[in-house]
Amino acid sequence: MRPGDLWQHSSFRLALGVTLFILTVLTFAGSIGYGLMRGQLVERQDARITEIVGAIQQTSLQGDQTDLIEAISARISASDEGSTLYLLKDPGGRILAGNMAGRGVADGWSTLPASALGVTAEAPYRVFSGKAGVYGLIVALSNSDLDDLQEIVLGAVGWAALFALVSTALLGAVLAMRVQRRMALAETAVARLAQGDLTARLPVSPRGDDVDRMSRAINASLARLAALVEAMRQVSTDIAHDLRTPLQRLRIHIESAAQGASDDRVATHLSAAIAQSEAIDQTFAALLRIAQIEAGARREKFAPVDLSALMGNVADVYSDVAEDAGQTLGFAQGAPAWVFGDSELLTQLFANLIENAIRHCPPGTAIACTVQLSGDRVTAMITDNGPGIPADERDKVLRRFHRLEKSRTKDGSGLGLALVKAVADLHGAKLTLQDAAPGLGVELSFARIADRP
Amino acid sequence: MRILLLEDDPSAADYVARGLTESGHVCDVLSEGTDALFQASRETYDVLVVDRMVPGLDGLSVVRALRAAGRRTPVLFLTALGGIDDRVEGLEAGGDDYLTKPFAFAELLARVNALARRPPVQEVKTTLRVADLELDLLARRARRGGQPIDLLPKEFTLLEVLMRNEGRVVTRTMLLERVWDFHFDPKTSVVETHISRLRAKIDRPFDLALLHTVKSAGYSLYAPR
Repeated sequence: MRPGDLWQHSSFRLALGVTLFILTVLTFAGSIGYGLMRGQLVERQDARITEIVGAIQQTSLQGDQTDLIEAISARISASDEGSTLYLLKDPGGRILAGNMAGRGVADGWSTLPASALGVTAEAPYRVFSGKAGVYGLIVALSNSDLDDLQEIVLGAVGWAALFALVSTALLGAVLAMRVQRRMALAETAVARLAQGDLTARLPVSPRGDDVDRMSRAINASLARLAALVEAMRQVSTDIAHDLRTPLQRLRIHIESAAQGASDDRVATHLSAAIAQSEAIDQTFAALLRIAQIEAGARREKFAPVDLSALMGNVADVYSDVAEDAGQTLGFAQGAPAWVFGDSELLTQLFANLIENAIRHCPPGTAIACTVQLSGDRVTAMITDNGPGIPADERDKVLRRFHRLEKSRTKDGSGLGLALVKAVADLHGAKLTLQDAAPGLGVELSFARIADRP
Repeated sequence: MRILLLEDDPSAADYVARGLTESGHVCDVLSEGTDALFQASRETYDVLVVDRMVPGLDGLSVVRALRAAGRRTPVLFLTALGGIDDRVEGLEAGGDDYLTKPFAFAELLARVNALARRPPVQEVKTTLRVADLELDLLARRARRGGQPIDLLPKEFTLLEVLMRNEGRVVTRTMLLERVWDFHFDPKTSVVETHISRLRAKIDRPFDLALLHTVKSAGYSLYAPR
């Protein structure tokens, strides 16, 4: 399985969908948690500032200016560098003590960048500006804890998200591959079914899960279908067999009667009856032949066949027949084209196709036969510039007894193309009927085998 | 000619036997395989006509047993199986020709006649002659009245088959099998077309016609008296 194929797998996409959902939830929960914690911290910070301010105010009530300056200096030296800032001003606005500039700080609560307080720090400060007695007092606490918190929370959410993404992607890929293995088996089975091999079955694992239950149900339907098709095939073979003896007797009686007939009129009718009984025989023979070809036993007798030489022979036989019908039949002998097959059946296949062209096309039609090599394929084409077959009829004409409306008045069993299809299927050859604009092009694509010496 | 017919359908057996007798042959009819094997081993026949599906020993086994015993009598298989593999099976078992039921009596007679007078294998002819028509099989040349006739390869084979069966009827189906290796019924006039081309070359320029159409049977090459 190529990596690009992963996108084509529903289980992988589902896993990715789940990942995205988890990420959304994580982001949402993370932002709520972060908001709550931050609010808590801000409250605590404000409470701390209030506490400090309260203590300093207490000092201002009990002592004089010197006590106040000392108390503030003691606090400054006791605190971590830059974590807490103080500023004490006398009523005239002169700075008495402190470790910040603190010019133009509005009264009350505010959050200010470090630069506004004349210090260098990354984090902003929570600032309270008020009075301690007659003195102006500013206390600022660094927000660096809040920034740390933000980093921790974002980091935690980020790592969790990455972990979730990687693990679900892996899970998705594993699931996709497991499903892929099962699907590949099922696809092979379906492809065989599409080729008419009704013995193909969907794989059923011992797990007995939902897919297995569905596979089992489909397999049961297939078994029933195969039995019906086999029964139908058997019936047509039986009918054909059982009718042979009465048909032989019918023929004997007509022939005997014809020998003794003295009346010309009777003799004419009897020879017409013989011709009709021959037509019935031929239809039965063709039906049996198709049934036997479809049964596939003939495949055991396959041998290398030069399709180019074989087509040349058939074209050679029919070029005079086409000429007598006022048509031309062309074949350009090319390089040998070896395929694995049954020369007798392949001869009949090409004969049927050429005869169809001769019989269904008007005088003046040009029929062309070609055999070409392209890579590992051998392509045989029989093309005419006659009336062609309408697009919606092209599949139907390959069925038994299906005939184009306009050709119904002509003789023929309606089995010629069905036999062509059966032989093509037996050889695993792809049969395509095309519009040759104008006319019909019949293309047969065979698997090529190594050239024979 | 003495012919043994193994056929279990009484009406078919009766009809074929009567027809063969009327054509001047002597015909023994048997309906059971084992009987036919004994009879064919004991007596000398010119041709055996054997239905494949008969009670007792089947036709195929009868012929296998005869061949194993060294009997080379020509065998024509009758088969109702109408199958594509029946011909091959029959030939492999030692049969010389086969005919699918239902058949026309004329077809059976033509094939029996063709089988019966087959020259022994040792006697290989290199030139065939009918009246003033000459076919050189080695040089693959045809002449009539000393005049060379230009034949295409398949026309040569067609003429060869007709000349080897001089005076006997060769049916359309026999020609399809022997000349073109077609083991199916074409829907177009393949045989008629090629016969008419051959006729134009070997008969039309000359006074005496040698290639004759036998109504509702086939073709025959001979010099009329």
